[in-house]
Amino acid sequence: MVNLTINGKPVKASEGEMLLAVIRRMGIDVPALCDHAAIEPAGNCRLCMVEITKKEWDGWKKSVTSCLYPVEEGLIVQTHTEELHEIRKTILDLQLANCPNSDVIQKLAAEYGVYKTSFQVQPEGDNCIMCYACTRICEVLGRNAISPTQRGHNKVIAPPFGVEPPDCIGCLSCAHICPTDHITWHDDHGVRVIWEKKFELIECSKCGKRTITREFADFLIKERELPKEYFEICDDCKRKETAKKFGTLAIKVREAAI
Amino acid sequence: MKLDSIKKLDAWQKECRKKLDSQKTKVLVCLGPGCLAGGSDIILKEFENILKTKKIPGITLEAVKKTGCHGFCARGPMVVIEPAGIFYTKVKKTDVKDIIEKTLMKGEIIERLLYKNPDTEEIYKDWRKIPFYARQQRIALRNVGQIDPDEITDYIANGGYSALAKVLGTMKPRQVIEEVTKSGLRGRGGAGFPTGKKWATCAREVSDIRYVLCNGDEGDPGAFMDRCIMEGDPHTVLEGMIICAYAVGSTEGYMYVREEYPLAVVNLQKAIEDAYEHGLLGKNILGTDHSFDIKISRGGGAFVCGESSALMKSIAGEIGEPRAKYVRSVQKGLYDKPTVLNNVESYANIPEIINKGADWFASIGTKKSTGTKAFSLAGKVRNTGLIEVPMGVTLREIIFEIGGGVLDGREFKAVQTGGPSGGCLPASKLDLPVDFDTLTENGSMMGSGGMIIMDDRTCMVDVARYFLNFLVEESCGKCVPCREGLFQLHQLCLKVCNGEATEEDLALMERLSKTIVKASLCGLGQSGPNPFTSTAMYFRDEYMAHIKDHKCPGGVCKKLITYRVNDECNGCMACIRVCNSNAITGVKKQKHVIDEVKCDRCGACYAVCNFEAIDIV
Amino acid sequence: MAQATAVKKPDIKKIKKIIENSPQDKKQLIMILQDIQRELHYLPIEALQEVAAYLGLSYSHVYSAATFYKSFSLVPRGEITIRVCKGTACHIKGADLILDQLKAGIGVGAGETSPDLKYTVEVVNCVGACAMAPVMIVNDKYFGEVKCSRAVRIAEKG
Repeated sequence: MVNLTINGKPVKASEGEMLLAVIRRMGIDVPALCDHAAIEPAGNCRLCMVEITKKEWDGWKKSVTSCLYPVEEGLIVQTHTEELHEIRKTILDLQLANCPNSDVIQKLAAEYGVYKTSFQVQPEGDNCIMCYACTRICEVLGRNAISPTQRGHNKVIAPPFGVEPPDCIGCLSCAHICPTDHITWHDDHGVRVIWEKKFELIECSKCGKRTITREFADFLIKERELPKEYFEICDDCKRKETAKKFGTLAIKVREAAI
Repeated sequence: MKLDSIKKLDAWQKECRKKLDSQKTKVLVCLGPGCLAGGSDIILKEFENILKTKKIPGITLEAVKKTGCHGFCARGPMVVIEPAGIFYTKVKKTDVKDIIEKTLMKGEIIERLLYKNPDTEEIYKDWRKIPFYARQQRIALRNVGQIDPDEITDYIANGGYSALAKVLGTMKPRQVIEEVTKSGLRGRGGAGFPTGKKWATCAREVSDIRYVLCNGDEGDPGAFMDRCIMEGDPHTVLEGMIICAYAVGSTEGYMYVREEYPLAVVNLQKAIEDAYEHGLLGKNILGTDHSFDIKISRGGGAFVCGESSALMKSIAGEIGEPRAKYVRSVQKGLYDKPTVLNNVESYANIPEIINKGADWFASIGTKKSTGTKAFSLAGKVRNTGLIEVPMGVTLREIIFEIGGGVLDGREFKAVQTGGPSGGCLPASKLDLPVDFDTLTENGSMMGSGGMIIMDDRTCMVDVARYFLNFLVEESCGKCVPCREGLFQLHQLCLKVCNGEATEEDLALMERLSKTIVKASLCGLGQSGPNPFTSTAMYFRDEYMAHIKDHKCPGGVCKKLITYRVNDECNGCMACIRVCNSNAITGVKKQKHVIDEVKCDRCGACYAVCNFEAIDIV
Repeated sequence: MAQATAVKKPDIKKIKKIIENSPQDKKQLIMILQDIQRELHYLPIEALQEVAAYLGLSYSHVYSAATFYKSFSLVPRGEITIRVCKGTACHIKGADLILDQLKAGIGVGAGETSPDLKYTVEVVNCVGACAMAPVMIVNDKYFGEVKCSRAVRIAEKG
């Protein structure tokens, strides 16, 4: 166990835990857009910065991203100083210029008193805040269908050459993890389209409902060693079948008791 | 020939020395980047062609050597004849015959090719006496321009690898680290971290593998010291790395070189192959237990890869995005193993520190910044070139005594040090001693050693805009303050250049800069606003002139200037030929006229006019 | 794109040869791409896919690296590469003028390739020949202290 102080309160944490996790456990609200339990921290959005110091540092302080900073014995952490407020405010101001139409950014910026960006609004601005959550989750899945491409201000998250990514299995993980709903997809008549790639959705052999993509199912069968038949019927029908099994079982048990 | 003992190296060294000394006269042709741009490769070929057909007693083809950068690029292409030190400047292909027939055959000096001090008209026969050279002290550059980088025997004859022999034969790793620590050597890449401390930390880490890396990704525009060392004396870098590997207990090293330096890659590759062949790299170096391999890793053209964590990612074949360094790379670096990363010039100092001792090195320079520092002088300075001076000399000494002052007798305005992470210092700071701490305290930084001199025809807002544009292009784009912040800072700077900014914009730029510095993930962003903050601090009046008076005092910002022809015009038509917007009219021998509406302010007319007949208003 | 008309199909055999001559090690990625770039003057899709398969890397990873580093081009480049240095020294000594003259003289602007695939003009951030600023490089030959009035002639004659 590691002992540290956050906003004046002593707190215990396990070795290797990141500061942000401890801060959240204490119920302190620190904004963070690129942090997610399913992926490794990256430190891209810079909003979760906190100020740290130690007794032996003689008053020297530094600002660090709490999502990436592991707890240390004797660490003294401040999460809401004036300076941190200014950093978060300016970053949100910048993001607002970049993603003027994102309601997530608008709402968060408003919390810091920014209703209109001080900077030049970018006409080509979209909702992507370049947090890499999508590419990181795609990497976790072992697909790596999309990646950060180009560099600097031209950086975009995209599949190779911006066309349908051969490695995409249409699992939607990227779209679901995206904090600003930038990644869009749609299902229509048994066809899913994401990243401009079309996928056929599996039809439940019982009720005809569409479930997941054939590619995603094949991936799970191979990588997660699930039985082939698993995806032939949908979750609802599976539930019904199980209920039915339990029902017959219960009747049998009752009959046996009588 | 494999040298399997230190004794054999000693014997070979004597042999090489003897062979080198047997050449009474040596002709050194500089093939440094500056001279090469002037065609020195053609001169070398001409020497070879003539000497192949002509027999001159005492002079063989072997006497003509190609070398790395000799330093005085402004006077290139140059040919140096040793040991007399005869220094021929601005040599042309047609001069080669003369040099052979007069100087080599008859011992006559060709005066028209010698360097003449433009102020005093003094002519120098020995290059060592020229003020440009006389004030320098060369440690890292000791062999650059003096030896043929392709010949390991040249390096050996000049005492090469004797420091390695001393280390392997007589010192324990701990003692090597102590010696380097005592020398006070600080990282020459710019940040100035104590080298000995870095080695000691790495050596202390418990690990099966440790890596030794050399940062040859000299990305700062305006810096070419490392290029000249890698091209002109590759073995000294290797020797430094092998010694480091012994000190920290590493068996594997990488030399990271930027792709823009193809000759450096070729010369280093040759040096590495020669070192392997002679048992100076590989298994059981010089017959000892120390084994070490070096591989070259070529960079792909990304400034951010000079940053340590990005460099390591690039070596591993990934995109060069830095990571947050809450765990230092000496502890967890390449492939998460303890890693020492030093810059080219730092390694080049190591053999001399070992040979001559830490006390000798520490006695040079200042107390906190020991030794010397190599700089590349460029921009509007008369003596552009590569120099090395003891730490603590003033900017004035470097610019006016070694550099010979501002080009064309114009007025000095600023000196830019430290590349895009550094800053611009004004004339009032010329008497500052050049060392790590003083430059940082004054809003600039040492950086890798690029020094660019600017005259009154430079606009400091434009300079800030230039660097910000560079950083926007080179930012990796991972974190928000750097990617978006520097982009917006550049946009605002552009607004100032266009005369469209307000004082509120300037205040916003200052506020934004503070956040970029504090919140960016790596050094690129953290120091990114420096070009703006330093110019806004020292040249605020120029910013105000753009904002309030809509004027560009330097005469650079296109939206705020016009070109006009004055009465000096003799109607030579040179400007008309270069004007792409057909804005200049006139006939031969009559004063030309510029149409201000058609003119796109490109400045080509101003640049080609030989009669100062064009004014910027 | 006008460029595409003059492009021949990339020589897959040549690409494969370069790839197979390199060690099969993920570290080699950037260097293999550099070697292909040098040979073909650009990186065709096929090359990225072959490299990915050879090194066991994902296609998107290889694409990501190819777009991150400045020395790579994904579109064919001209036979003659003209590089104009825009290091600090070159900038203050008039590198922009050279670019202006090239655009007007041979019709190729910074970062562009002529439709007949003859010229590519590239802007590079410092080639380390600052003492001879401004510098331009035609294929691999350096030209120092370039006067803007001579830029076009240098580009054409080398």
